[in-house]
Amino acid sequence: MIKAKKTGLHTFMAVPAFLLFALFFIYPLTRGIQMSLTDWDGLSPAKFIGFRNFIDFFSDERAISDIKTTVLFALCSAPLLNIVGLIYALLMNAEFKGKGLARGIIYLPAVISPLIMGYIWYFLLQPGRGFLFHALDLVGMSSLLGNWMGKYSSAMMVLIIVNVWQYAGMTMVIYLAGLQSIPEELYESAKIDGAGSWQIFRYVTIPLLMPSIRINIVTNIIGSLSVFDIVMSLTGGGPGYSTETLSIYIMRMCYGSKTGYSTAVALILFVIILVPVAVSMRMTRSKD
Amino acid sequence: MKRVMALLLSLALIAGTLTACGTAQAGTTADGTAAGSTSAGESSKETEKTGRVTLTFFTGKVETIDVMNEIINDFNASQDHITVVQEYQKDASNVIKIKFASGDVPDIMTTYEQEYADQGKYLDLSGETEIWSRLLDSMKVNCTDINSGKQYRICTNMTMAGFFYNKAIFQELGLETATTWDQLVSNLQTIKDKKPDVTPWFIFGSEAWHLGHLIEFIPHGYLKQKYGTVETKKAMLANDQSVLDFGSADGSMAVFAQNLLDLQAKGLINSDVLTATSDNCVQDFATGKAAMLSNGMWVLSSILAANPDMADQIGFAPYPSYMPDSKPVVLCAEDSGYCISAETKYPEECKEFLNYLFSADNQKKYSEAAGAPSAFKDVNAEWAPESIVTEVNNALNTAVNIGFTNEKPAGFTGDDAGRLVQDLLSGKYSAAEFAAAYKKAWDAGFSA
Repeated sequence: MIKAKKTGLHTFMAVPAFLLFALFFIYPLTRGIQMSLTDWDGLSPAKFIGFRNFIDFFSDERAISDIKTTVLFALCSAPLLNIVGLIYALLMNAEFKGKGLARGIIYLPAVISPLIMGYIWYFLLQPGRGFLFHALDLVGMSSLLGNWMGKYSSAMMVLIIVNVWQYAGMTMVIYLAGLQSIPEELYESAKIDGAGSWQIFRYVTIPLLMPSIRINIVTNIIGSLSVFDIVMSLTGGGPGYSTETLSIYIMRMCYGSKTGYSTAVALILFVIILVPVAVSMRMTRSKD
Repeated sequence: MKRVMALLLSLALIAGTLTACGTAQAGTTADGTAAGSTSAGESSKETEKTGRVTLTFFTGKVETIDVMNEIINDFNASQDHITVVQEYQKDASNVIKIKFASGDVPDIMTTYEQEYADQGKYLDLSGETEIWSRLLDSMKVNCTDINSGKQYRICTNMTMAGFFYNKAIFQELGLETATTWDQLVSNLQTIKDKKPDVTPWFIFGSEAWHLGHLIEFIPHGYLKQKYGTVETKKAMLANDQSVLDFGSADGSMAVFAQNLLDLQAKGLINSDVLTATSDNCVQDFATGKAAMLSNGMWVLSSILAANPDMADQIGFAPYPSYMPDSKPVVLCAEDSGYCISAETKYPEECKEFLNYLFSADNQKKYSEAAGAPSAFKDVNAEWAPESIVTEVNNALNTAVNIGFTNEKPAGFTGDDAGRLVQDLLSGKYSAAEFAAAYKKAWDAGFSA
């Protein structure tokens, strides 16, 4: 193996990348932390108020409700995305006619803007006037369609289903790449050793799919905990604030002249995302 | 050679990164002469090499874009020292906050926020006596900042809000417009009984601002007709609950909530109230599927666009009285308020443009395009079909005219109020609980 010799030039060549990282990550993060300790309203000079914003957050009923909504959404969305994505990948990894078309159809929603997707589903599901209502009405079953977006529990269910429907294709692609990188010889050896389908899946496929599982878990946790677009376009966080997520709360606080406070909430959301991501990465790495 | 190339490429990347992130601290005009400071937002204000001053005009009023472009083009051609550029943003009330925060403040704007007035962000226009003398007295009062007693904006138009109703349905069923809440319920019940396919009162509750407007026009309207708009505004600024009395179980807020819950329980409002949109409402009203809706004059153009033949069938009525000591009210508020930034380098040029814009001829054009009556006494515009103008004038003459209140706590917007109504209609609150929640949110808004 050729060992690269470290020189000053090598270090110097990393400077552009470091500059970009510093500019687009370290600087905003530092400024964000600084801003979160102020009462800045986006207009007047900022005043240092210590940890007041963080204390206020945990004493705000709406904020606590938003944490619950966000976590519930992620707890349902992230596992479902992985399960559905994996099932899709296993199905699409088999040989059958029209496989390419099927893969394309499953992946298609992922390339549409989630905001647009939300509006499309909104107009599909509108009670009494949406496409689904008219379609069911033709067969005399329109009563099956309730006012789903007008109630918290059903609105949450709709949000989770639409999110899974949109992004399962993306999860599938990553699993599919992982499945196709598993050498065929391993399956043949397992079969020769007498392993059944479940044993092959459990002891060959899953362990070798671990890098894909890790990527999917991490990206789905991040995506689900920071969800914004679909909720904004489907329910607007309503009725009331019942389906409002932390990302929407941050936006509304920022536009509500509470810029310092909204930055503090953004940092809290950062930690809320960081913890499960770190835990899942550690767990999946130990299984590699 | 490779090392040299690598070194040069690294240097180029670093230089590129740093250059892209830099901001111009000094600008240069096309002919190479120094143009002074060009910090963010000021580039548009540079004096061009021709000596013309460029002013930015910021608006969120989509209905006036074309007519404003026409007036601006005429103005730009009429003199040789000012160029006005219009910037439209759909989400203007939020975008302007970003502009203020980033220092990219437009010279002239149609957005107005109480907090910015409090912070001295607008130029004092109290001294523009010639313009004020042409304006209706009531509109001057509405343009006056309660805190300072000064005028930071000049409104060019008025807007009204009340109940739009389908005159054909009312005539067919022999209904008169209601002056009391009981009469309103009776009318709605008759419509429901006689025309089961028609929604008696369409409320588009998926848009929180609309529900917030119901609070603004009905329970807040009750306070304004009882104490006067100015006194109510003062009470709101001081959070004087002896006047506002938002939290009482038998107060105006709780009674309003109970009335709304009763209408919902009786099926007198649309069943999809929490998911219906403004477009749904306009479509249903324009096609005769809805008999009544609450909105401002701005909805007229949409209704007439959806059904141009409906002009003669659109009625307009005040909100009926709903408390023992109340009277019917109709909103008659300022619209299209023009402010000048206190930070502009060219206040005189801004005033010159506004004087041009406020000329009687231009205001006639403007009012007719905006579909709103002019606030100027010397402008006679045909802002709506004659039958609608008659309906509106009748409503204004028979009900207490109330103004709009911007004097709400900074942390409690009309949108927030609307979301509380969404909660009410989704079954989260009883009427008394709603009133208590409203007062709590209102009080919390003051500490924001």
